[in-house]
Amino acid sequence: MIYLDYSATTPVAYDVLESYTRATKDFMGNPNSLHSLGVKSKALMHSAVKQISDIFNVLESEITFTAGATMSNNLALIGTALANMKYGNHILVSKLEHPSIYSICKYLENIGFEIGYIDNTEEGLIDFENLKHQMRDDTILVSVCAVNSEMGIRQPLKMIRQIIKKENPHTFLHSDMTQALGKIPVNFHDVDLASATAHKIYGPKGIGLFYKNSRVPFTPLLYGSGQVNMYNPGTPPVPLIVAFSKAIRLATVDLDKRENFIKRLNEKIVNELKKYEGIKINQTKICIPQILNISFDNIKAETFLHALEEYEIYVSTNTACSSGEISTAVMAVYNDKKRASSTLRISLSYLTTTDEINKFLSCFRLVYEKLSLLKKEE
Amino acid sequence: MQKIIMLKYAELNTKKANIGMFLHILKQNIEEKIGNFANIEFDKGRMFIKTEEENYSFVLNSLKKIFGIHEIEVGYQIENTKMSLIEESLIKIIQNKDFQTFKVETKRSDKNYPLTSLEISKHLGGIILKNKENIKVDVQNPEVIFYVEIRKDHAYIYSEKIKGLGGYPVGTLGKGLLMLSGGIDSPVAGYLAMKRGVKIEAIYFESPPHTSVEAKNKVESLAKIISEYTTPIKIHVINFTKIQEEIYKNIPHEYLITIMRRMMYRISEKIAYKNNCKILINGESIGQVASQTLSSMAAINEVVSIPVIRPVACFDKLEIIALAKQIGTYETSILPFEDCCTIFVPEHPVINPEKEKCREFEKLIPYEELLKEAIQNETILTNQTKKEFEDLL
Repeated sequence: MIYLDYSATTPVAYDVLESYTRATKDFMGNPNSLHSLGVKSKALMHSAVKQISDIFNVLESEITFTAGATMSNNLALIGTALANMKYGNHILVSKLEHPSIYSICKYLENIGFEIGYIDNTEEGLIDFENLKHQMRDDTILVSVCAVNSEMGIRQPLKMIRQIIKKENPHTFLHSDMTQALGKIPVNFHDVDLASATAHKIYGPKGIGLFYKNSRVPFTPLLYGSGQVNMYNPGTPPVPLIVAFSKAIRLATVDLDKRENFIKRLNEKIVNELKKYEGIKINQTKICIPQILNISFDNIKAETFLHALEEYEIYVSTNTACSSGEISTAVMAVYNDKKRASSTLRISLSYLTTTDEINKFLSCFRLVYEKLSLLKKEE
Repeated sequence: MQKIIMLKYAELNTKKANIGMFLHILKQNIEEKIGNFANIEFDKGRMFIKTEEENYSFVLNSLKKIFGIHEIEVGYQIENTKMSLIEESLIKIIQNKDFQTFKVETKRSDKNYPLTSLEISKHLGGIILKNKENIKVDVQNPEVIFYVEIRKDHAYIYSEKIKGLGGYPVGTLGKGLLMLSGGIDSPVAGYLAMKRGVKIEAIYFESPPHTSVEAKNKVESLAKIISEYTTPIKIHVINFTKIQEEIYKNIPHEYLITIMRRMMYRISEKIAYKNNCKILINGESIGQVASQTLSSMAAINEVVSIPVIRPVACFDKLEIIALAKQIGTYETSILPFEDCCTIFVPEHPVINPEKEKCREFEKLIPYEELLKEAIQNETILTNQTKKEFEDLL
């Protein structure tokens, strides 16, 4: 199998799974229990949370564990919107967000919030002038993903936050950092709220992270008991938290080294694929190398995906979460409907080998030639 | 030029003959926190710290939690004191800085330098004006102040000043034993004593099963939080159950707390002397509860001869809370676990206990033996970072 869909999800790292299993077996107590089993689980959980808060240099109380990034996005946008209604009802989002952000915005629109969409430059960078122009006195929240999931466009969050705060100090910045964590350095202090998830960084599925700076007024959406995990109450999933903590620690080291290696793989693919006449590479200067997006002129991306699957090669058409629709990112950057309607995403990891890329490229050629031929026969 | 952190010492200028010892201990304290990441040098006026760019925020955050530092200045060291080199460096520095108004302030400890401080400031102000657009001098209320210091071998330029914690380096004034409960006041008291240079060990009284492991963990966490301002704090844990139950069974209930505190003082004094601690420190605040009225303090204090320092005695509760929040202990202190003092609380504790009566009542229990036993069974928590979960995480 050649797995090139790391941006959809990643295999769980052996050590992370090991921690999960051991925490499940050896720390069965409910961390809310008063007896020693509970106390032991709680102490472990605290150490796990502390490790995360130390890595991100934030307070432990600023971290909430969720079921995943989509839940984090829900808490971040809805909870902040509701709590800040007295300052206004205007929310801005980029045109490069994960589909979950747009679904949440649709709901917020239904309950009376006004959503604006920030333009981007030809490179995919947030258009600062447009952002300034759209900022208003009643803008309470801006959401810009750190790295776009379809093309890997990376945004300068610190600068974006500076612009926002200069225009309106009451506006908060949320960033979906799902595709950034473990790939590039992330800094929670560049934003006010952030979302991330474990399964994109070689951790287990079913746990995500929601960061909220303690200054941000917030309306909880879920109610229950327990002092930890304030905005997602209930019995905390200690083994998942432990595994997530470990995954974060392992995923945030050697970023440079890994990125350089992946960059070489990315260049190898690009150099090969740009020789094809019917393929366009959807890549700008600010794309991270872990994600590579291409468009087919005359082949349906989904057909291509299934054809590659016959060689046990796995890739995506735009993102796994929005299969079937046109690529919003490619549309936002190139403003070309045809180009956005048949896109393939190849996502790489430090686990990917040069050998795998060579095999992928030769299978790619076979599939391409076969499918182009069919096209001509039609 | 090289990036550098400079430290101004707090209060140490009042120390004459001892200053060498104070600086030595300050350097040691700093080395314990950041020694692996930084190069530290010092003279009588300043400490100089150099580190890799990626470690700056860690180093700065650590320095903000070390007593004995008046001010942390982040700037650049210039290779020598030649004016041409100072100018060149200053031009580089201003390029990366965003500001509209500024002034230059100069200090020269090298009094043989050909220009006076005022002349240097004026000259360098001119250089800045020439090399950056759209800026002007504002002597009254500048956005940025460029401080230039001409010392013997090097010149320094900095514009960022961070207030340090002040106080004396922990350890310069010997050791004290902190009576650490799980409440809000005692960690603050410990912090304040540390601020005056006192190194700390802690004593904690537990009464299982009346108190839970979580209460002990909480005390351990509190010790860990205040140990961020010093080295790990050793906690002496005393099992107090038997003594407490004896008191409860035999002594009139309005005197429960008074007698209990007298027993705690006695044990603390013994533990203190055994561990080279010269004083006891606790979080008593005048009038806060029945055991902290002046007559209570007098009735309790009479059983020991060791000095008892009560750093928050004259603070009101809100002041203590504000400080606890600043130190970082508040959130932990308010976690709801039964501590030793709150379990056997009588409905109407005596507000003005009489020493005579205390002595009489104490005859009702064989306390000497009980205290001896409790001290013998002391356990010690060293409050090192917990390693047990390390392989899981």
